[in-house]
Formats: sequence, structure tokens, C-alpha cells
Amino acid sequence: MGAVIGVRRRGWQAVRATGRLLLGLLLVPVCLIGLALFLLTFVSSATFIGLIILPYVVRLNRWIAGRGRRVAAGWLGRPVTAEYATIEGGVLARARIVLGDPMTWRDTAWIAGHIVTGPILAALGLGVWAALGFGPSLPIWWWAPLPEHAVYLLGFAVDSWPRVIVAVPLLVAAVATAGSYVLPWLATAEAVLTRLLLATPERVRLAERVAELTETRTAALDAHGAELRRIERDLHDGAQARLVSIAMRLGVAERMLAADPDQAATLIAEARLSTEETMTELRDIIRGMYPPILADRGLPGAVAALAARCPIPVAATVTGVDRLPAAVEAAAYFVVAEALTNVARHSAAATATVHVSAADDLLTLRVSDDGRGGADETAGTGLAGIRRRVAAFDGGTDLSSPPGGPTTLTVELPCG
Amino acid sequence: MRVVIVEDNVLLAEGLALLLRTEGHLVAATVDTADGFLAAVEKHRPDIAVVDVRLPPTFRDEGVRAAIEVRRRHPRQPILVLSQYVEQTYATELLAGGGGGIGYLLKDRVSRISEFVDALARVAAGGTAMDPEVISQLLTRRRADHPVESLSPRENEVLGLMAEGRSNGDIAALLTITERAVHKHVGNIFMKLGLPPSDSGHRRVLAVLSYLSTV
Repeated sequence: MGAVIGVRRRGWQAVRATGRLLLGLLLVPVCLIGLALFLLTFVSSATFIGLIILPYVVRLNRWIAGRGRRVAAGWLGRPVTAEYATIEGGVLARARIVLGDPMTWRDTAWIAGHIVTGPILAALGLGVWAALGFGPSLPIWWWAPLPEHAVYLLGFAVDSWPRVIVAVPLLVAAVATAGSYVLPWLATAEAVLTRLLLATPERVRLAERVAELTETRTAALDAHGAELRRIERDLHDGAQARLVSIAMRLGVAERMLAADPDQAATLIAEARLSTEETMTELRDIIRGMYPPILADRGLPGAVAALAARCPIPVAATVTGVDRLPAAVEAAAYFVVAEALTNVARHSAAATATVHVSAADDLLTLRVSDDGRGGADETAGTGLAGIRRRVAAFDGGTDLSSPPGGPTTLTVELPCG
Repeated sequence: MRVVIVEDNVLLAEGLALLLRTEGHLVAATVDTADGFLAAVEKHRPDIAVVDVRLPPTFRDEGVRAAIEVRRRHPRQPILVLSQYVEQTYATELLAGGGGGIGYLLKDRVSRISEFVDALARVAAGGTAMDPEVISQLLTRRRADHPVESLSPRENEVLGLMAEGRSNGDIAALLTITERAVHKHVGNIFMKLGLPPSDSGHRRVLAVLSYLSTV
């Protein structure tokens, strides 16, 4: 049984490999056109017209290379990706961008190379199938009136029916076995060659990632600094000042107690009132730093509390969220809070859903409503605030809000 | 009244004990953990327990959980939960048992001694004391077409006080109107919200709170 399945799987792999090789072959004429156009434009890029056309030709070549990547990725079973420079700006800027982008030259090299390797590899692949087809046709060659009236196979003369009956299955089996190794190997060779040239090298990818992280780290530090300054100011101008005034009132009341008890009582009452205000203020500051419900109940409890507090019915689900870094939890809490405030204020929705899930070191928040949609990011500060907060954590924010709804806000926060 | 205090912060526990003694109550025990709370209730069967939300060892919501557990074992034990902040969720959980004798207040409220002592007595007598902050969490950010929006400003005030657990007499005194007027306002509120009229007391609070938190 196992052997049969193994044979079938090998056979299927060989067929798939042939498919990839043929797809590669199909690309060859396109590659020819792309290369010819590129060379022509490159040579003529000394002229203004050439400079104008160049980015378009590069775009075409990017598309062709993209096809090549798809073919290779389909065989390798994992994506072959590249990062291109964005083509923008004036004519000169655009030309400079495409010529300066290393991927332009990698694409061109691949296209030129593929014009050679594509047909060779496809021909080798098809040769295997031709050899396989040759086996059953052996009797015809032998039987047909050939001069020697014999067909030689590796020095072995096939010149009688018994010999044919032995030779044909042997030949077919040998070719099929060899083919089942050779065909996938050919497809792999082509795919690896493609990946070598067309995938952005790990080194470049890492460098880009470092640049990105440096940027978000700076933003995070700025945001953190601003937050600390805000808390310091709130405490200094608010709670601390109030406590000083309370202490002063109590001090005066203490001295007055014997001489003027009524005045002392008034001062004490004022002091008490002031402590209440101070407590309210401290509570607001604490809530702004790290919501107590988050400390008490973690993200699931805090999200449930936010949902319960929203004026419209909210179905909240939280899955896979164990304890996360406190900063990420707080950010997630504020994002959901802000999103639900927006839903309640602007969407005219009847219901909303909140879905929070964590997997593979990524916390995903999704807040949707069935409201009127058409959310304008530039109108309020809410969404901009969410974007800034999320960006500081190297996360991503995506808003989908077509007119007529529904509106869905998706936020991803790395939490590893 | 005999009171059990559950508070891990020594300063606050002593302040609370001082306040209660000054008001003529007896502090049967002061404990600082949820387990101690359960044991003290078993041992002293106090008229009321005053419980902090955050207790050792994790300083999260032990107080709320312990209060719910005590109520499960002794459904009539009056409990007043005090906290530095209030969450509507906790109020809902505390009230979920259904019986009266539950209070949930901000610690700030303790400074208004007479109001605090009133609330204490109300809860000990099987009534309810919900912090105005909880009520305002329930009442804020309602949508324009919500039935609550059809209440007059005075009816809104009455609704808030009613949800806190105040009696008609209290409400009349606080708003300086007659008890008859309060009675009329209450009737109007229940009609406008489409709630079946209920007698005063804890059931009324539950009706109003569950209405506000579900609709």
C-alpha cells in the first residue's frame, strides 16, 4: 500500500515539476520582449524620451519577474518576495529611483538568464517524457523496415519479439524511475535559481527592518517621554498643589480652633472637599497611566468592562490572551476604548463586535460595527491617536469603512 | 453595630476603625486577607463587613471575589465593598446574587461621614448603596433615542438617587421636595422606561440597575 502511494506521489511530483518547467517556458517569450525593451530604453535613456519610458519598462520587468517568483514559489511551497523601491516624483527622480534600485538589475539579470535556462530546463524535462513515450513505440522501430532490422539499446540488440517484450517494460521502468528524480530536480534547480536572483537578500531585508525599528523606537521613546511629562505636570499642578492647600487650611484651622471654632469648621470642611477633588483627580491620572481594571482582570476582563460600558450592545470575545507585557496590554486597552468611543459617537451603529486574539507573538484587535461607515481619518483625533500609539509598538493599523458600512478597525501589536 | 473590616493598608484600616468607633460602632475584627475575611465572618457573624477590593497576595479583585464567596455561603450577610476606583462590572457581579445588603462605594465617600454612616446603616438593614460614579457610568453616553433621554432633569436626579439605593424619604430630603413629589416622579420614571412598578427598596434598585446595564 505504502509503496503504491509512494509511487503515485512521485508520479504526481514529476507531473507538477513538468508543469512548473512549462510555465517557465511560457515566460521565455515575455522575457525576450522585456529584455529587448529594457536594453533599447537603457541605451536611449541618454535622451529625454528614454528617461520617460524607462520607469514603465522597469514596471513591465517587475511584473515579469513577479510571474517568475510565483512559479518558483508554487514549486518551493513558500513565498519568494522582494521589496522594490517606490517609483515616484518627477521624470529624473523616477529614472534615478529605478536605476538605483538593486532589484532592477536583479530582475534584468534573471530575465536575461531565464531566456537561456528556461528553454534548456524545459527541453530536458520534455526529453524525459519523450524517452518515456519512446519505450512503448519500440516495436514499431524494430518492425519497421530499417536497414539493420534491429534496434540497439545500450548495445543490446532488440531483434525478436521475446526480446521486445522484455525490453519495453524495462525501458519504461528505467525512464520513469530516472524521470521521477530528474524532473523535480530540474524544477528545483529553476526555482532556486529564481529565488537566488529575485528574492530580496536577507541582509537587505534585515537592514530595512533595523531602519524601521529604529524609527518606531524613536517614536516610542518620544511618546513615552511625552507621557511622563504629562503625568508629572498633572501631579505637580493638580494633586500636589491641592495637598499643599489642604495642609495650609488644616494648619490655620488648628490654630483657630480655640479662638474661632466656626471659622475653623469652615476651613476643615473646605479641606475635606479639596481632598475629594484630589482623589478624583488622582483616579483619573491613574486610569490614564494604567487602568486598574487591567491590573485586576487582565485584558479579557478589561475588554469586557469596556464592552459593558459602551452605550450600544457590544459582543466581545478574547481568545488566546494570557498575560502580555503590561505596555502592550495598556495600548490594546486604550485602542479598544478609543475605537468603542468612536463607534458610539459617530457610527450610528446598532451593534458592535470586539475581537481580541493573540497568536504567534502577535496581538490582533478587531473592532467592527454595523453603522453608516465612511469614517474620515482626518476628521477627528481619535484614529490618528490610535495610529500613533500602535506605531510606537511597531504595530499596524488598518481601517476599512466604505460609505454605508460596515466599519472595521484592525490593529496588530507585536507582543513577543 | 458589630463591624468586620477587611483592609490590608494599615493606615486606612486604622482610620476606618477610628471613624466607626467614633460613630458608636464596634469593630469586631480587622483582617487583611480574603481568607481572613471568610474566617472572621464565620466567627463573628458581624452586622456588616467593610471590604477593600485589592487584597494580598495579588492585589487585584480579591475583595470582590471574597465578597461573592461570603454571600454564597451566607446570603444575608451585609457587605460594603470599598475601592479606590469603581467599575460597573464589579457592581453587576456583586448584585448578581440578587439579595439586598450590598454596598459598593468609592473610598472617597468615607470622608462625608454622615453619608457614609447612612450608607452603612442602609446596607446593614438589607438595603443597597451604589456609588454615584457607578450610576453615572451607567447613565453617560446613552444614545439619543434611549428611553432614559425622555426623562426630565428632575426625574434623572431621582433615577440616579434611586439607583444608588436611596429611599423615597432620603430622596425627598436630598432634593428638598416632598415625599409625595418623589413618589410621583418614581411613578413617571417607571412608566417612561416601561418597567413594572416595584415597591421601594432593594428590588427597585435591581430593576433600575439591570435596566440600565442591559438596554
